[in-house]
Amino acid sequence: MDSAFITNLILASVRMATPLIFLSLAELYSQRAGLVHIGLEGLAAIGSLVGFLVSLITGSPLLGVLAGAAVGILVNMIYAYATINLCAEQIVYGMAINIFAPALAAFIYRVYFGAGSELVQVGLMTTLSGLLGIASDNFLVRLLLDQTPMVYLAYGLVIFTAIYFNKTKSGLNYKAVGEYPKAAATLGISVVGVKYAASVICGALAGIGGAYLTTCYSTTYTDGNVAGRGFIALAAVIFGRWSAGGVLLACLFFGFCDALQIRLQVGSYGIPYQFFQMIPYIATVVVLTIIGMKKAGPKGVGKPYLREER
Amino acid sequence: MKKIFALLLTLAMVLSLAACGGGNSGGGASSGNNTSAPADGGGDGKTYKVAMICDSSISDGGWGMACYNAMVDAAAKYGWETEVSDSIAQSAYYESIVAFCDLDYDLIYAPGNQYTDAILQAAEEYPDIAFALLNGGADTPEKAANQNVTSLLPNSQQVGWIAGILAGLMTETGKVAFIGGMEIDTTKGKYAGFVESAEYVGQQEGKDVKALDVVYSGDFSASDKGIEFAKAMMDQGADVFFGDASAVDSGARQAIDEANAAAGAVKVYDIAQPGDFLGQNECIIGSQVTDNSGLVGLCMEAVEAGTFGGETIYGTMQNGVLSVGKLSDLVPADVQEKYNGYIAQVMDGTFMQ
Repeated sequence: MDSAFITNLILASVRMATPLIFLSLAELYSQRAGLVHIGLEGLAAIGSLVGFLVSLITGSPLLGVLAGAAVGILVNMIYAYATINLCAEQIVYGMAINIFAPALAAFIYRVYFGAGSELVQVGLMTTLSGLLGIASDNFLVRLLLDQTPMVYLAYGLVIFTAIYFNKTKSGLNYKAVGEYPKAAATLGISVVGVKYAASVICGALAGIGGAYLTTCYSTTYTDGNVAGRGFIALAAVIFGRWSAGGVLLACLFFGFCDALQIRLQVGSYGIPYQFFQMIPYIATVVVLTIIGMKKAGPKGVGKPYLREER
Repeated sequence: MKKIFALLLTLAMVLSLAACGGGNSGGGASSGNNTSAPADGGGDGKTYKVAMICDSSISDGGWGMACYNAMVDAAAKYGWETEVSDSIAQSAYYESIVAFCDLDYDLIYAPGNQYTDAILQAAEEYPDIAFALLNGGADTPEKAANQNVTSLLPNSQQVGWIAGILAGLMTETGKVAFIGGMEIDTTKGKYAGFVESAEYVGQQEGKDVKALDVVYSGDFSASDKGIEFAKAMMDQGADVFFGDASAVDSGARQAIDEANAAAGAVKVYDIAQPGDFLGQNECIIGSQVTDNSGLVGLCMEAVEAGTFGGETIYGTMQNGVLSVGKLSDLVPADVQEKYNGYIAQVMDGTFMQ
C-alpha cells in the first residue's frame, strides 16, 4: 500500500461521498422538521433522469442540476401534501415515492428516447481546475481544485447548515418544529410553513443529489443508477446524529468504505472479492455498535402534526 | 374537501404507477411494440410474439443493447411482435416472465444465466410457451419438465479469446484488466479465455502479459462503479480492458477516455462486447460480436415449426455466431495482421495447441 494508493483512495472517497452529502442533507432538513423521508431514492432517481435530459437538450450541466432540483421539489410536494395536510403515514408515502419516481423516470426515458437502444452520453460539468486551466498531478491540486462546483456547493451547504441550525434564531425555530411542534406553534412559529419549507429543501437537495450523478459523475443515464444511495443517506443521518458535521463525516466514511472495497478488489491477488465487498457492511455494524442506538433525533419525527389535537 | 383531495391524490398516484409500471415492464410498450412483415415463414397467418426480460437497460451501450437489438432484428426477419421489460430487479424476474406468459407470448427470451431458475419455474407452469435462455447452461433444457426450454450458448472461452488476443497484442504495460458484473458461469468463462489468450499471445510476442484479478461490480447498472474500477485498475498499470458488465463497462470507458484525454493521447484501450461498438468511445479498439439474432431466429423458426425445446444451441466462431468486430485505426496495420492470423487459428482449431 503506497502513497499513490492512499491519495487515489482519498480522491475516490470524495467523489463517491459527494452525492451522499446532498442526499443526507436532504434527509437532515426533512427530519429536523419532523418528517422522516425514506423516499430519497425515488427523488434522486427522477432528479438524475431530468438532470440528464436537460443537460442533453441544453448542453448545460448547470441547467440540468437546476432542473433536477425543480423536479425533486415537484415530486416531493406529493409527499408533503399527504403527510403535512392529510397527516398520512410518512413511511408509507416515502415508500410510495420510492416506487413511483423511479418508474416515472424509466417511463419518461423510454418515451423520450423510444425503444430504440442507443447509448446516449452527455458532457459533464467542468471542474474548477479545468475552468482555471490548471493541470497538475499534485495531490492537493487534484483534491482541492479538480472538482466540479457541485462538490464545493455540497461542502458549503454542510457549513451553512451547521451554522443555520445552531447559531440562528430561524434555525432554532426550525428545529423546534421537529422537536415539539405544538410548543413551537404556541410561540407563533408556522409549523405547517416550516414543514413545507423543509419539503422544498429536501426535494431540491435530493434532486440535486440525483442530478449530480448524471451531470458531474457519469456521462450516461441508466435505470437504477442511484443504486441505494437514498437509503445510505438515511443511515448517514442516523450515523451523524442529526448534525451537519456528523452527517458529513458519515458520508465521507461511507464513501471511503466503498472506494476502499473497490481498490482492494483490484489489488487482491487471490483473496476472494466477496471479502472486500463486505467491508462497507461490516464497517456499518461496527460503527453502529460503537455509536450505540441511543436516540438523538428530533422527538417529533415521524409523527403527524394535528393542530386541533390536544 | 380534504377527503376529495386525498381521493384524487391516491387515484393520481395509482394511475401513474400503473402507467409507469407498464412503461417499465414494457420498455417497448410505449413505442417499441413492433410488428414487421414476415420476410419468410409464419405461413399460418398467426402473428407470433416474443418478449425479452433483462436486468440491465437496453440503452446501456453494451449487453442489454446488443441482446435487445438481436431480438428486434430476428423479429423483423420473421415478422414477430416484440416486447421488452428491462432494468428489472432480481426479485421481479419470475413475475415479469409470468406476466408475459399470461399475455400469451409465444417465446420468452431471457439473455443471461442468472434467469435460469425463474425460467425453469415458469416453463413448468406454462408448458405451451417457449423459453429461450441465452447463456443458459448446457444441461438446463433437460431440467425443464415440459421440454420447452432451449439454451443458446455462445462459447464463452472463444469470446474471451477474441478479446484476449487483441489485448495481448496491444498492451504495452503487460497488464490487462477485466471487469465483471456478477460472478456467473459465462462471465467466469469469458475471463478465463481472456486471461489465457492474452498471456499466450504475449508470450508469443515476447511480452510478459498478466491479467489483474477479476473484479465484480455486483450489478449491471452502476456505471459509477465502472468509473472507479477503471481508475483503480489504471493505477495498477492496466492498459487494455475487457468486461462483461453492461452499463458498468460504459462507466469504465468513460474513465479510460478521461485518462487518455488527460494524457493527451490514447494509450489505454477497451475491447467491447457483444456488439460492434467501435466509435462509441474513443478508447474502443475492437469488439467481440455475438450474432444473438441468429440464435433467436433459430428459436423463432422452431416455434413456428412446432419443434422448439429441449436442446442446446451452441454459438462458436466456426458456425458464425461469434465474430470479430471492426478494428480501430489505433491498432497498427502489422498488429491487425497478427490479430487476424491468431483469429484464423481459432477458426481452424489450432489456437494454443
